[in-house]
Amino acid sequence: MPERQRNPINPGKVEWVGDNPGIFLKETEDGDWVSLALYFRVVYSSQGCGKAILVLDEPGRAEGYPGENNLCITDNEAMMRYLVADYAQLFPAFRGSLGLHAMTYLPLESSETLGGFDDSYSEVVRGGGVSLRMTWRQIGEPVAIEVTPEHAVTGAHDMYNIFIPAGQAEIAIDDQPLTGRVIPRPLFGQTMNSAFLAFSETWVTPPNEA
Amino acid sequence: MPIAPPLNPGKVDWSGENPGILLKNGPDGPFTAMALFFRIVYSPVGRGNALLLYEDPNTERSLPDVCNVMMSDNEELGRYLVKTFIGKLAAFAEAPAYRALQYTSIDNVRTKGDPRSRYEELVSGGGIDVQMIWEKLGEPKAIELPPSLTGPKDRELFTLLIESRKAAIILNGEPLKGELGNRTQAGFETTTAFLYFAETWIWPE
Repeated sequence: MPERQRNPINPGKVEWVGDNPGIFLKETEDGDWVSLALYFRVVYSSQGCGKAILVLDEPGRAEGYPGENNLCITDNEAMMRYLVADYAQLFPAFRGSLGLHAMTYLPLESSETLGGFDDSYSEVVRGGGVSLRMTWRQIGEPVAIEVTPEHAVTGAHDMYNIFIPAGQAEIAIDDQPLTGRVIPRPLFGQTMNSAFLAFSETWVTPPNEA
Repeated sequence: MPIAPPLNPGKVDWSGENPGILLKNGPDGPFTAMALFFRIVYSPVGRGNALLLYEDPNTERSLPDVCNVMMSDNEELGRYLVKTFIGKLAAFAEAPAYRALQYTSIDNVRTKGDPRSRYEELVSGGGIDVQMIWEKLGEPKAIELPPSLTGPKDRELFTLLIESRKAAIILNGEPLKGELGNRTQAGFETTTAFLYFAETWIWPE
């Protein structure tokens, strides 16, 4: 194959960079999302670095923890509020979610990564007397993604990452699994699982979008 | 800028972070100390952290005399990176230190700071403590290179570059000698101290 020609330095403004795996669960393929979770490990943003898991056990209810299990545990709340306002609320599974805007923010006290891609892989955070765990199983092969605003879920950014699908996944609060299962969904013109590891992710605002 | 289609047809080799500091004896002099840190989130031999350190690139010696080592918490990963990546970067592979490289283990890795101002990686293991410090950090640039514009010349590269204009390698409490030099990457004039984040290497189809 001839080498693909590129513009080596993207002229846009880098917005944030890091890892951003997710688990989005439904009871049935044509139903609503019943349980949503995103992990963030951010190494660069205008609001600094940080780590977080956000979980929505009731995405459609405008109530935070402890009334409903809609919460975010993070070591950088300002960063997470920025990422929710400018990015997460635009992700298709989160659009219109009342729970996302009502969720409670708790300070992160500890975190750990468990397992490996051969069997099961987990991210865990703890804070405010609560633990949140995301676990991925049946982990597939990685594919590198590069999208322009036309295909980006925000509609306004260039985005690069590696995307690793998972056939099975679990969201747990205090080790109690939430309802729902992984389903296939359209993404980037393909059918992809609603549980995935997304690593080395870079979001860039192109000059004409600034 | 990203090119269609959204799914790159190549095979992902490895992905993660790869910041480095290369010190020289004057702007045109030889390298005096070199360090590359790796935080790998995906590779064919698993995840892990690794640090390549040449305390003295110009001597074909290693421990216990000279700290020319590949430290890692996943030795298979350390050896994979040396064989498939570092061995294809001329500045590292042609140094006498490369031929004497020893493999040691990492007990602890810690990150400090913020890449908007001052950033550190602290790595320790087997009685070796290394601190890499980057300061005077620039604006981040998203870079995408075809194989011909990369060091190894066999894979596509996506990465984020934040250049540093002041940096240090501290080994067991003592700064290694040397100063930053200049280098050019894809036509961009930069320095020999850099934070590379969200770095992905892809074998073309």
